[in-house]
Amino acid sequence: MKLVKTLSILLVIVIIFGSAMFALDLYTGPIIDANNAGAANDRLNAAMPGGTGYEDITATLSDLPASVTEVYRETSGLGYVIISSGTTDYSTLPLVVAVGVDLEGKICGVNIDSYGDAAGNNWNTKLTQDYLATYIGQDSTLADVTLIAGVTYSSTAFKNAVADAMGVLIANDMIAAGVKSDLQILTELVPTVAPGFVKPAEVTASGNIQLALKAENGAGFAYVMGEGDASFLAVVNATGACKIYDVEGTDVTAAHEALATEAKAHASANQTDYLAALTTKIGRVMADATDITALELDTFSSIVSAVSFKVGDATYYGFYSRSYGFHQMDVFVIIDENGAIAKLDATQFIFEKEYFMGFGGMNETEYKNGFVGITSDTWTGEEAIIATATMTSNAVKQSTTDAFAAFDSVKGGEA
Amino acid sequence: MKKTKTSYLLRGTPSVLLVLGAGFVMASSADIRAALGMGAAVLLSMLLSSIVVSALHKVIPAYAKMPAYLLIITGFVSLISMLMQAWFPLVVDMLGVHLATLAVSAVVYRDAEEVADHNGEATSIKTALVTGIFFTVVMVACALIREVLGNATIWGQPIAFLEDYKISALAGAFGGYLVLAIVMAVINKLTGLHHHIEEKEDNC
Repeated sequence: MKLVKTLSILLVIVIIFGSAMFALDLYTGPIIDANNAGAANDRLNAAMPGGTGYEDITATLSDLPASVTEVYRETSGLGYVIISSGTTDYSTLPLVVAVGVDLEGKICGVNIDSYGDAAGNNWNTKLTQDYLATYIGQDSTLADVTLIAGVTYSSTAFKNAVADAMGVLIANDMIAAGVKSDLQILTELVPTVAPGFVKPAEVTASGNIQLALKAENGAGFAYVMGEGDASFLAVVNATGACKIYDVEGTDVTAAHEALATEAKAHASANQTDYLAALTTKIGRVMADATDITALELDTFSSIVSAVSFKVGDATYYGFYSRSYGFHQMDVFVIIDENGAIAKLDATQFIFEKEYFMGFGGMNETEYKNGFVGITSDTWTGEEAIIATATMTSNAVKQSTTDAFAAFDSVKGGEA
Repeated sequence: MKKTKTSYLLRGTPSVLLVLGAGFVMASSADIRAALGMGAAVLLSMLLSSIVVSALHKVIPAYAKMPAYLLIITGFVSLISMLMQAWFPLVVDMLGVHLATLAVSAVVYRDAEEVADHNGEATSIKTALVTGIFFTVVMVACALIREVLGNATIWGQPIAFLEDYKISALAGAFGGYLVLAIVMAVINKLTGLHHHIEEKEDNC
């Protein structure tokens, strides 16, 4: 009886409140649904001010790069929102951005949709908002967008993600491409023609030089120079070699000797001399080295100095590379006359010795000795990689690859 | 001990005296908006369930009171939750699961069982109001400290000059309990409430 009475009371309570909830849901249900729909659009509205509704048109587009995952058309005719991602060498976690583009091809909003590594990458709120603001009003050229010092890898990934997003709209004739100036075209050519120039920064220059850039790692200089109505890019490496390119990216050095002379003069007056450091290193690692002779290279890599020298009757070639890993690295590669690595050394392999020694019993001597005997034919690059020190070991890999390329160019010149 | 109206009112400040609601205060006081939202939810659920429990406590047999009161409280919390989802979705997002767990909160159940179950509607309503308002005041006080000093914001708006000086630990669980402990100590000191309770109990 007690049980029946208890259950009856509980049943009555359940029926009453159940009915109340049913009735209330008739009023609140539509409001909650509208709120949820609005929340789903929040990430898109963050990139498209004034946006009201969105239509997913991803499946209707062609030439989508892997970095672009979603494309929406704003239904009231404001433009498009593209979700694009980028990754950096610093982290495997993607940086996902939402880019709003109006129908004139101008960016009207950008937002970081997600970035797994934000906490460790100095993206504080004000810095982020100030940086995002530089994208507003830009067209596909992104001419006035710069990178942020201190989060270079992330801001590079961000810029690339935005560029990919714009590229999709241009490829599908949804907006017109922006027109880049010659200055911008030539500046953007630097990483292609001089891949070893790390973080080129503007320095003062005069004469025909419209813009002078100095590589932070000392690998050389890049100049945008004018001659008549045309502009050209001159790159000078640390050993003094110079090449001239036009806006099409064509090597036109032979036809512009005067520009090359002017560029070399400025570079020579401002280039840091790395020969002494290389000579000192050779003296330490190679006993009885003699006839050390400086070489001029025609590669534009991370090699800042190159020499040939003799040990007895054998000839060797020494290369000093300043590649960029987690920090600036100084790597020395000595290659024998047959093209095999005789020695490899660095000022400091990993930024903390304790960090390096923790890798499964591997020690520094073993790591260096692992390079001895490798030639450019047998070199895969994987010999340099340490799985949990990717950035630093990638820098060693780059230095070694650049050394082999420099050796080939020297031998090709001797042939 | 004779249960006076005053003791009921004094006993209706669990966050200060009994720390029953400490979990809710910690979880909901990282932002002033969330604190107000949770405080309003507690106040309403306490008030409505007190009214119903005090109206029905003579009808419901003793052996059925616990499940019945829990169902009543749960029902009201669900209704309040639906209304908040419709009108204040941002606050509901901030509160997360803590709003739903209000249904099994010792704060609300204790008020129903100890006060509403033994008194008429008038006393139950007064006690629920006092408890709910004090609970809300404590939460807002904690939220003010945590949001301003821990997040450098107020009502979600950034305070630029504090951005470089914010103490992030205050925005977390540790900071929540720390701030609550400090606020409780201050309130106890200012009002002498704990002494009043002890005197009343000694006189019983």
